[in-house]
Amino acid sequence: MSRVYGDPIEAWTRDGRPDRFLWRDRLYTVERVLDHWVTSRQWWKTTETDLGERRFWRVEATPDREVGVYELRYDTASNGWLMLRVWD
Amino acid sequence: MRPFTHLHVASAYSLRYGAAFPAALAARAAELGMDALALTDRDGIYGAVKHVQACVKAGIRAIVGVDLVLADDSAPGKPARVTLLAKPGGWGALCRVASAAHLGQAGARGAPAVTRESIAEQAQGELVLLLGRGSDVGRAVAEHRFDDARDLFRRWREAVPDLAVEVVDQYGYREASTAARMLAFADRVRAKAVLTNQVRYADPQDAPVADVLDAARRLAPLHPRHLDQSTSHAYLKSGKEMLEVAERICGPDRAAIGRLLHTTREVAEGCVLDPDDVLAMRVGRVHLPEVGRDPVPLLRNHCEDGLIRRGMERSKTTRARLEDELRVIERKNLSGYFIVIAEIASMIRHIPVRCAIRGSGAGSLVNHLIGISEVNPIEHGLLMERFLSDGRIGLPDIDLDVESAARLDCYRAIYERYGETRMACVSMMETYRARSAIRDVGAGVGLPPHEIDVIAKAFPHIRARQIRAALNDLPELRASGLDQAQLRQVFALAERLDGLPRHIAMHPCGVLVGNGGLRDRTPVQHSLMGFPMSQFDKDDVEEAGLLKLDVLGVRMQSAIAYTLSEISRVDGVTVDPDAVPRDDAATYDMICSGRTLGCFQIESPGQRELVAKLEPRTVHDLIVDISLFRPGPVNSDMVTPYLETRHGWRVAKYPHESLREALAETHGVVVFHEQVLRVVDAVTGCGLSHAEKVRRTLSDPDRRQDVRRWFLANARPDFDPATVERVWTILEAFGAFGFCKAHAAAFALPTYQSAWLKRHHTAAFFAGILTHEPGMYPPRVILDDARRCGVEILPLDVNRSGRNWEVEKRPTPDGPVYGLRVPLSAVKGVSDAEVERITAGRPYTSLADFWARARPSRPVAERVVEVGGADGLYGLSLAGPRWRPGRLTRRDLIAQVGALARGPSGAGAQMPLEFTERIEPGELPEMTEAEAVRAELEILGMDVSRHVVGFHEELLAELGVVRSRDLLRCRNNSSILVAGVKVATQTPAVRSGQRVIFVTLDDSTGPVDLTFFESVQGACAATVFGSWLLVARGVVRRTGARAVSLRAEACWDLPALEELRAAEGPDAVRSLVRRAPATRDGGVGGRAIEYGNGYRLSPYADLGPVPSPAAGLAASVPSARLWHASQGSSGDTGRRQYLPRH
Repeated sequence: MSRVYGDPIEAWTRDGRPDRFLWRDRLYTVERVLDHWVTSRQWWKTTETDLGERRFWRVEATPDREVGVYELRYDTASNGWLMLRVWD
Repeated sequence: MRPFTHLHVASAYSLRYGAAFPAALAARAAELGMDALALTDRDGIYGAVKHVQACVKAGIRAIVGVDLVLADDSAPGKPARVTLLAKPGGWGALCRVASAAHLGQAGARGAPAVTRESIAEQAQGELVLLLGRGSDVGRAVAEHRFDDARDLFRRWREAVPDLAVEVVDQYGYREASTAARMLAFADRVRAKAVLTNQVRYADPQDAPVADVLDAARRLAPLHPRHLDQSTSHAYLKSGKEMLEVAERICGPDRAAIGRLLHTTREVAEGCVLDPDDVLAMRVGRVHLPEVGRDPVPLLRNHCEDGLIRRGMERSKTTRARLEDELRVIERKNLSGYFIVIAEIASMIRHIPVRCAIRGSGAGSLVNHLIGISEVNPIEHGLLMERFLSDGRIGLPDIDLDVESAARLDCYRAIYERYGETRMACVSMMETYRARSAIRDVGAGVGLPPHEIDVIAKAFPHIRARQIRAALNDLPELRASGLDQAQLRQVFALAERLDGLPRHIAMHPCGVLVGNGGLRDRTPVQHSLMGFPMSQFDKDDVEEAGLLKLDVLGVRMQSAIAYTLSEISRVDGVTVDPDAVPRDDAATYDMICSGRTLGCFQIESPGQRELVAKLEPRTVHDLIVDISLFRPGPVNSDMVTPYLETRHGWRVAKYPHESLREALAETHGVVVFHEQVLRVVDAVTGCGLSHAEKVRRTLSDPDRRQDVRRWFLANARPDFDPATVERVWTILEAFGAFGFCKAHAAAFALPTYQSAWLKRHHTAAFFAGILTHEPGMYPPRVILDDARRCGVEILPLDVNRSGRNWEVEKRPTPDGPVYGLRVPLSAVKGVSDAEVERITAGRPYTSLADFWARARPSRPVAERVVEVGGADGLYGLSLAGPRWRPGRLTRRDLIAQVGALARGPSGAGAQMPLEFTERIEPGELPEMTEAEAVRAELEILGMDVSRHVVGFHEELLAELGVVRSRDLLRCRNNSSILVAGVKVATQTPAVRSGQRVIFVTLDDSTGPVDLTFFESVQGACAATVFGSWLLVARGVVRRTGARAVSLRAEACWDLPALEELRAAEGPDAVRSLVRRAPATRDGGVGGRAIEYGNGYRLSPYADLGPVPSPAAGLAASVPSARLWHASQGSSGDTGRRQYLPRH
């Protein structure tokens, strides 16, 4: 079962991959990247010249001992991270 | 680690798919430290030659392949594709497989496809097959159908043993896992696996361009489901980035990553092509048809026969010249080439079709002797070196001019003589320009079609990348309100399509002829007209060492042929234009007075001004005139010194006495290329061959300094340094822009012939011009000129009009009067079959008879009646009262067409009117003359019964408008009002680098030429381009003994003035035109393009030579074209009322 969120989170990267992130006042450590993909933004719907890219990461991460699967999204245009989905 | 090699790359030559040109891709690959690059364009190898050239230039090795659709695919909509790469020596096989896709059973025209069998047949161990995610195998793997995948793969391996599985990951959703499965599949079937990036563009920033191309290709709006990629990763990635891709696919298994990159490299190494296989011309491998015998003695024999036939066998100088030419030809191994061309020229003349040589080839004595050219080069002082010299690489160009209407007959003759596999037309890429780019992008973002049309047409024919600059620079566009936020993105995107190939088309004249191996040298497909067509353009075929012949359709040749047939039909006289005297005073009088509309090369407003100043009296004068009227000479101001010396206002000056011989024919001014050669040779003694090499470098700013040093160092001792410097300055300024005299000599002949025919067989000449439309002017302008020349214009008549314009002779006591009958083909929307039926069924006794036997469609029948085509059946005339009960009117007849169409439609039965609805004669009012003319303009595209300006006579008289016939009486520098119908707008290149608009008006008494400089364009440009009927104020400039031109100060839309007059009275109009125009907003922007020698060019000037021969080649002319608008002219922006409302 997965739950959909969409909360802004804070994340730190190492070698271009998410390494740790802060969600709902808890710090998570990324153990493993399960999947990673990107999509271009639908540039024709905006008037901005910056194309931007949305980078998705599905990771195994843990705040303590319990490992969960989390899907994070990074938007290059806004330079912000979101927590998209969580599997438990 | 060895560098990565991209094996799957599409360039812009993958139409509406790739976004980068081969040169950019090769340069980028070299920058990234790669040592080889593949190009695998889609559906053909259109970019292959350019790719190999680019790789050679970038210092990397070239791999060439093709990406083709698989015909036996079960999923329609998104066809499966496979990629093939040529192994060393496999160039021929690649060409054949690309041809097979287009010509084979599997593909249809416009939808090329291959089958496993057709690939197997062509591959024969010379091609490597890549099966990627788009292949049938790849799809089966992606859909987890492993058994299917294994089965399909086994069949591929049997057909093409040399194959590899291709894995791609462009970072889209689940792409990495699919790629990993593909890799696992390769392992399982023990196949090689290669990593590619399916490149579509060089930089990630170009992804939107690829998106727009996807939408344009699918004729669908931009939406993720219409796009090939959801990411911007289909770019030429670096080796490091590709390693990251490999890591994504292989996971942490370092050995697997190494293996994948290693096999990729291995396949690349096995597919490097020898560039000389493709660029055969570099190594002198010329591909000629089989002649059957040793061509060297054969050509010598032909020349010897020619000497005798032309009566030149006794002349020593001729023999010496012939020997020189033959030696050059034999050194270059081109004897066979000349034999083939001579054979083709003779074949065309035997069809029979008028055929003449054009261009520098007229300078060769061999061409003259073996019957390719009728011009005797010795008599005209023409040089072979301009055409063929030792220093020149490549095949010489021989161009043949034939009747445009018979061009395809010539192609057919060549096709039949050499056979399908030994002949092909040359292709050309039509590229995105402003209007086409706006259309495709507009459709992509979902603008309504009619809005797209209006927006696109508002722009002049400029490059797509100039769109936003033009919006700023041009006053008529600034005023158009196009610069809106919603449109900005459309324009920005349209600019990015600039120059990308959009569509492949048959080149208008290039034909390839070869031997049985032609299709190992070039891939072919079917052209629209069914001829085999090479996938290479004219530059590529030359690089590939193929024999290209230009067979140009020249409309003027067709017009002359038609004129001759009309003269013989009506007057029973046979005229041979080649035999008419070349010194006819009446003809030259007509030329000198500028009445040259319709004449070859000298009909444009600028040329009419020039001939009036130059006053030609001989064919040589015409040769000079044609050579001078080029952007170069006009810009470098060669015209003024020439004219002044010609008319004796100043003495001809020669930099050195020994140059007199070369320059005397043009009074000391360098006009011809041939003169540049002679001058260089006279000063340095380097020989004409080397002089030709020097001339070619004159136009190259980078190398000009080297040539200058060479020239100064090698001048002969009897030239002092100051003189040499002076000569160099002249050469530098004029040399690059001179004109090939041989070319001008070939042009001058039809120029003179057309003028002679216009002067002596006026009606027949106009019939030829109106039928074949060789020139720049629309029919209504030509018709008006015919009227002024005393030819009657006879209205459409179903019993008299033919398919084409025909001359009718009417005897009168003062001798015969000639008239021109409007043809049926001029009626808007009429089909060939209808014209055929109407002419076959003549004569008709009534409208019902016409309806029943000619069986026209209803709209066509109505149009025919509306412009008076049935008046003759009932003796109708528009004169008299409009309401005339009891007497038939044209409107009654139109109503009758409706009744006939509604009535019973017995097949072919002649239905008396009584059985259909009864129309009372005179029930409807007669049309007014204004309505009739409006109908004529609408339906025939010309005003037949009356000149449109005639409806505004009252207003023009009130304003004191000066008419064309009275212009010569105006004082120089006086400010006057003129008016008329717009005939032409041009924005040619001029010396100052301004955009200057030349406008020709026609006021029913003759043409009025106006010049709008940038200072007045702010207020005038929108009116000039948008209106059809104009009133203008201008300052009189005398330009020659019998020529006047006006510098425009202001202009108005004539119908708008009529409205003002109706609303506020004549005084309001008078005071309006007296006021100084308020400059609405600044003038024309945009920086002039400046060349090294001071030549400046407005970025909105028309491209190409001013009196472009292409004008005579224009494939199709819209039937309702009312005026000529050159490329630099903006479009119409609003609806106009042409005639006053009654």
